[in-house]
Amino acid sequence: MRADAVRGHLDGLLLAVLEPGPLHGYAIIAAVQRRSGGALELKTGTIYPALNRLERVGLLRSAWLSEGERRRRCYELTDAGRRALAGERDAWHEFTSVIGAVLDPAPGHPA
Amino acid sequence: MTAATTAAGPVEEHVAALSAALHGPARAKERLVEELRGGLEDTVAAYEGRGVPYERAAELAVREFGSVAELAPGCQRELTIAQVRHTARAVALTIPLLIGCWLLVRTAGHQQQWQLWAAAAAALPGAGTLAATGALARRLPVPDRLPIAVAWAGTVTALAMAVATLGLAGTAALYGNWPLTVLAGALTAASHALVAGSARACRRCARLPAR
Repeated sequence: MRADAVRGHLDGLLLAVLEPGPLHGYAIIAAVQRRSGGALELKTGTIYPALNRLERVGLLRSAWLSEGERRRRCYELTDAGRRALAGERDAWHEFTSVIGAVLDPAPGHPA
Repeated sequence: MTAATTAAGPVEEHVAALSAALHGPARAKERLVEELRGGLEDTVAAYEGRGVPYERAAELAVREFGSVAELAPGCQRELTIAQVRHTARAVALTIPLLIGCWLLVRTAGHQQQWQLWAAAAAALPGAGTLAATGALARRLPVPDRLPIAVAWAGTVTALAMAVATLGLAGTAALYGNWPLTVLAGALTAASHALVAGSARACRRCARLPAR
């Protein structure tokens, strides 16, 4: 799936993979790719400014965590982030339901 | 050889090229560049963990990460907004302080309530900018013209501060309470330096491509 198709949904994808708990940047990318079965063609560097933006608007919070000589910035959802994720899910279900009904109408429904 | 032990190579070259393309507040840029470097190093390490030699792993990681042209606009947008917030915060904090300071010099203790309201009102545009680029941005997109508007508002404020500094310096002898006038002049000059530097950086950021 091309990056253009993903762009409008990137916030929702990032919030969703952070729902179980805090992750650092690379682990977030790995989680997105794992959940998508590797189907998303995402330039992985693009998630860092996106994480920065989500933190700025209060949907994520972050902190540096040290692992040996390396330190990584770990992100987690805020309460506002959990509410935003629920909103993204509702909007996505509504969207797929409406578009699905048009693209693939159920038998017996008017054409 | 691992990414951590490599002094220079595709990863460092890519990070250096990205860093050179980005402008914004030093701390925000440092943080973003460190995260980008860490992400690249983690990607290299993941490839190496699958048995790919370092040089090839680094090439693959850089390609997967995105080119400077692909990444810089998104990163720059965040740094531009960080610079906008820095400038807005500087204006929001210094103008009320200075208005209060000047009023103190001129009224010598006969302060009235409207003067305090004026000082508070002067902070509102800066506070509004901070809100528009913060929690409000969840619902309303940040206006494209906001960075340049804040940059020029900061520039005009800095110029006004420079004029005020000269005025206070020239008239210090006329006031009975000249130590207070000198203090107000020093505070105004320091505020001018703070706001002018931030506004200059904001003008530069606002001119860079961002999306």
